[in-house]
Amino acid sequence: MPLNIAVLVKAALNLNMLKVDPNGSVNVEETPLAISEYDKNAIEEGIRLKEKHGGKVIALSILTWGPLQRRNQEIERIAREVLSMGVDEFHLILDEAVLNSTTKETAYIAAHLLKKLGNFDLYITGEYSQDTSSSQFASRLAKLLGVNLVTFVNKVELSNNEIIVQRSTENEIEIIRASLPCVISVTGEINQARIPTLRNILQAKNKPLIKYDLNQLGLKIEKAQMSQEYFVLPIKRKKIFIEGKNYEEIAEKLINHLLEEGVIKI
Amino acid sequence: MSENIIVFSSEPKKLIYPIGFANILKTKLNLKLTAITIESDSAEELIDKGPDELKLIRNKVIQDQFEDILRKELMGKKTRYVVSSSSYNDTDILARLAGEMNAYMFTDVHDLEIEENSIILKRKVFGGRAISKIKVPNKGVLFITVSSRRFEIELKTQTEMSYIDAIPESRVKLEKVERKVSSGVDISQAEIVIGVGRGFKNKEDIKLAEELASLIGAQIGSSRPVAADYKWIPEDRWIGISGKSIRPNLYFAIGISGAPQHIGGIQDSKIIVALDKDKNAPIFNYADYCIVADLYEFLPVLIKKIKERKTS
Repeated sequence: MPLNIAVLVKAALNLNMLKVDPNGSVNVEETPLAISEYDKNAIEEGIRLKEKHGGKVIALSILTWGPLQRRNQEIERIAREVLSMGVDEFHLILDEAVLNSTTKETAYIAAHLLKKLGNFDLYITGEYSQDTSSSQFASRLAKLLGVNLVTFVNKVELSNNEIIVQRSTENEIEIIRASLPCVISVTGEINQARIPTLRNILQAKNKPLIKYDLNQLGLKIEKAQMSQEYFVLPIKRKKIFIEGKNYEEIAEKLINHLLEEGVIKI
Repeated sequence: MSENIIVFSSEPKKLIYPIGFANILKTKLNLKLTAITIESDSAEELIDKGPDELKLIRNKVIQDQFEDILRKELMGKKTRYVVSSSSYNDTDILARLAGEMNAYMFTDVHDLEIEENSIILKRKVFGGRAISKIKVPNKGVLFITVSSRRFEIELKTQTEMSYIDAIPESRVKLEKVERKVSSGVDISQAEIVIGVGRGFKNKEDIKLAEELASLIGAQIGSSRPVAADYKWIPEDRWIGISGKSIRPNLYFAIGISGAPQHIGGIQDSKIIVALDKDKNAPIFNYADYCIVADLYEFLPVLIKKIKERKTS
C-alpha cells in the first residue's frame, strides 16, 4: 500500500554553537540553526517507509527562532538538506507572529496546514526537540488532527492498513498495533539517518519548497502574554589538564587530586 | 465549586514530587487537590499527605485509556492545574489533553514562584546547558510535569479515597509488553560513577572500567550509544537527558566525547574527571581534571597505581 507521509521538522538551535551574552543570557538570535537531532530520524524513517511501500513524503517546518530576515537563507539551506535526504516537498511557515512560540501554537498551525494539504496515513516527529525538549508536539498534533497516536517508537512495520510498532519507555518495551492514520514520535534508536550524496543534493534543487505566512493560511494566533528568558548555567569547572612525563606520573597526580578533593578513599 | 488541581501519574511511585508541587499551589491559592493513579501500596501512602481526594484505577490500563479517564476527571471539575511526573508516559498523556484544550504545558519543571497574577516556572533547556525562566499569566488551565526533589513537600490533610471502575477502550491495541533488562542499581543515587563511552571498542573492554569501579566503589553508567544503540549495558545506566541525571561526588567519564545529551545529565556532579584521546573533545570543557590519553593504555596504569596504594 503506497503511503502518504508527513514528517514534522524543527529548525532547532545548534547546541554546539550556542552564543552567550556577557550577562549569561543565551543570544538565540545569533545562534545558528540545525535540523533537530531526532527529527533526522523521523525524516529517515519516512523515507525508508516510502522506499519500501511507495508513496510520498512531505516535510513541514515552522520557524520559531528569529530574526526572520536573517534566518531566510539558513532555513532554506535546512529545507534543501531535508529534500536532499529524499523528501519530496518541503512546506515552510515563516511569520513574525510565530517566532518564539511554544508547541501550543506550533502544533495548532501544523495541524491546520496538514489538514489543507490532504490526507496523510502517517505523521512522524522526533521524540523531542534538541533545544527546548518539550516532548509534547506529537501528542498535541494527534489530538488536533483527531488521529491515533503512539509516542517513543523505535521500530515500525506496516501491515495492510495498520502499523505495528515497538514503543520504548524508561522501563518497558511495548508492541502496539494501531490503525492508520496515526501520529508517531520516534526515538534516536530507530535508525541511522542518511547523509545525502552530492547527486542527491543536486537533484533536490528542483524539488518544491513552498512558503506560507499565517495570512495565506487564514490563521490568526493569540499572542500570549508569556515571557521566556534563557540563561546558561555557569560552568564552574577547574579544567585542569593533568600532564606528566609518562602515564605513571599522570595516574599518580590524578589519584592525589581525587584524594585531596575527598571524593575517593583508598 | 472550588477550583481544582489534578495530580496524575501512571506510576504511583512517581507521584511524590508532583504532589509536593501541587501542595505549594494548593496552599498559596487555596485549591482542592485530586490525585489520580493506579491502585497500589505506594498510592495509599499518599493518604493524608496533601490530596483531598485520591482516585484509584483498579485495572491495568494503557495511554489512550489514561487519557480518557483523565479527560473525564478534569472536565468534571473546575480544573486550573494538571500536574504529573516527567516520565515518558505522563508527559504524553498530559500533552494530549493540553493539545486538545489548546492550553499551555511546561515539562520537566524544577522551580516555581507564585506572583499575584502570574506564575514563574524554571526548566532546563538546550541540552541541560541553560535554564528557561517562563512567566505565564495565572489563568486558564495549565499543564505541568515536574522533576525536582525540591518539591518533596507534605501537607496534613484528610484524604477521601475512591475507585475508578469505568475503563474506556483503547484506540490502539497493546499486543505485548516486556520489562527492560534492569541492573537493579539506581545510578542517580550513586556516590561515584564511571561513565563508559564509544571510546571502548567492544563490550568485553568495559571490564577495564569495571575493574577500576570495583577498586574505588563506583557504579558503571554510560553515554547514549553504549546503552541504547549497542546495548552493552542495561538502559537504566544510561546517563543523559533522555536517560538518568546523576549527582555523584565523583563522575569519571571514560572515552566519552561529551555530546550535549550526555552533559545535560552530569552537571550536578561534584567533581568530574574526563579521560579521552581527543584533546578537543567537548567533555573537557565540563571537567575538573582532564586527561588526554588512550584509555586502553592509561586505565591499566591507573588500576595498577591504585592497587599499589591499597597494599602499601
